[in-house]
Amino acid sequence: MTFNKRSLITLGVLAIVTFAVYYFFSRRGITYIWHWERIPEMLFYYGGKSAEDAVPRVRMGILMIGFVLTLKISIASIFFAIIIGTIVGIARLSHEPVTRALSLGYVELIRNTPLLVQIYIIYFFVGSMLRLSAFAAGTAALSIFAGAYVGEIVRAGIQSIHKGQMEASRSLGMSYAEAMRHIILPQAFKRIIPPLAGQFISLVKDSSLVSVIALADLMFQGQQAVARTYHAFEIYFTIAFLYLVMTFTLSMATQYIERRLAISD
Amino acid sequence: MIKARNVHKTFKTPDRKEVKALVDFSTDIKKGEVVVIIGPSGSGKSTFLRCLNRLDEIDSGEIFIDGVNIYDKKVNINEIREEIGMVFQLFNLFPHKTVLENVTLAQMVVRKKNKEEALEVSRGLLHKVGILEKENVYPAQLSGGQQQRVAIARVLAMHPKIMMFDEATSALDPEMIGEVLDVMKTLAKEGRTMVVVTHEMGFAREVSDRVVFMDEGQIVEEGTAEHFFTNPVHERTKLFLSQIL
Ligand SMILES: Nc1ncnc2c1ncn2[C@@H]1O[C@H](COP(=O)(O)OP(=O)(O)O)[C@@H](O)[C@H]1O
Ligand SMILES: [Mg+2]
Repeated sequence: MTFNKRSLITLGVLAIVTFAVYYFFSRRGITYIWHWERIPEMLFYYGGKSAEDAVPRVRMGILMIGFVLTLKISIASIFFAIIIGTIVGIARLSHEPVTRALSLGYVELIRNTPLLVQIYIIYFFVGSMLRLSAFAAGTAALSIFAGAYVGEIVRAGIQSIHKGQMEASRSLGMSYAEAMRHIILPQAFKRIIPPLAGQFISLVKDSSLVSVIALADLMFQGQQAVARTYHAFEIYFTIAFLYLVMTFTLSMATQYIERRLAISD
Repeated sequence: MIKARNVHKTFKTPDRKEVKALVDFSTDIKKGEVVVIIGPSGSGKSTFLRCLNRLDEIDSGEIFIDGVNIYDKKVNINEIREEIGMVFQLFNLFPHKTVLENVTLAQMVVRKKNKEEALEVSRGLLHKVGILEKENVYPAQLSGGQQQRVAIARVLAMHPKIMMFDEATSALDPEMIGEVLDVMKTLAKEGRTMVVVTHEMGFAREVSDRVVFMDEGQIVEEGTAEHFFTNPVHERTKLFLSQIL
């Protein structure tokens, strides 16, 4: 039920902001001629694409194509960030000083340098060495970036589980890895869903930075569309709305998972 | 079955003080014997149990279980632990698993039993500890006494050669102590090897073969429960008994 309230509040705030912008413009006498009618075709349109592919059918417009790419890169990055984060979170608590130091080094390095710089380094340096596509480089950069934060969240999650859980598991004959897999991590993940959701929402928004390596994501396509049509306000509003759709779905999904997992409480 | 020789264990506290938990500790526990360990808080009772399955590691000395030196580098500690069940003061059930899953999990993960087999064993044991009707409930919905009985079933499912109980009834409300002690008594009468840290002298008198009084990491006095009730020798024993009886 809290979810429904929160979604209403968010939508309400969005409506108020939109209204405020209109109001502000009209009061200042700024005559901006809105062209909202140009937006739908940037999402979907009916027709041919080019001379070679002229068959008329429903096709994705430029913003929708960008939306799908942002969606793909976000999902891929979340997936890898979870894997990296889990490994890093466990490594941070290792008894091996070297493992501990390496994982700490990774976390500190990533958290203390700008993501934009990391994207450039991975794309131009690592990417060209390994012949990565822009998509692979973008995904790698976002995963490595978010992985450091997820790692810290996972570490805190593991540490929050009572040590009796590990002792009970080990005393039943489970190995450390078995105890982690069956007992500690499932409980830890349940507990860290809220901070993880926050992290993944940031990741979706941060993914707009990959437009700098000419990856045709939502932000990049939007900029192209603005350059072509000059309908900056309409397009950026639409982009903001589309990002919101993604982050909103994400927080909805995590709240659903949280509720489902709450049955054992 | 258990042979401890000259075991020393020292803890370092966070402020770098050294705490001697076991001092030149030696004892023998025979197969089928039920040994009750009593002693004041901090006397090393838990540490002894925890060193028996290496939840804590001894500093020096030797511990043999079934003739195997469990601190030998070649020993696979997970295999040793399968044979030594431990029941904790705070139950430590797995909160994200149902009662049935709590009992079934280690059988499948550690003993590699298939699911049907494990379920059958689990249901039999839940019946034995009198809690079968709660098999699909999560631990949070159980009373302390019920949780502890599930924890005992979880240990029994591994068919351990030795069972250790570390103050298994200390965290329970008084009205629930009986139901857990009853299960423990049943197990004791089945001829299991049991090492039981408890201050329930009624339990000691009814089923124990031997009572060991520990203080400051050492055995001060040992004998039958009757001996402790009628003619304890050492002053420290008398003082302690006067506090708990
Ligand atoms: N992990 C630990 N770190 C530091 N000191 C400990 C630790 N575990 C036990 N001790 C100390 O060792 C001594 C024996 O503890 P313990 O075996 O738990 O006693 P008991 O179970 O008889 O109450 C106590 O002084 C206790 O403070
Ligand atoms: Mg204790």
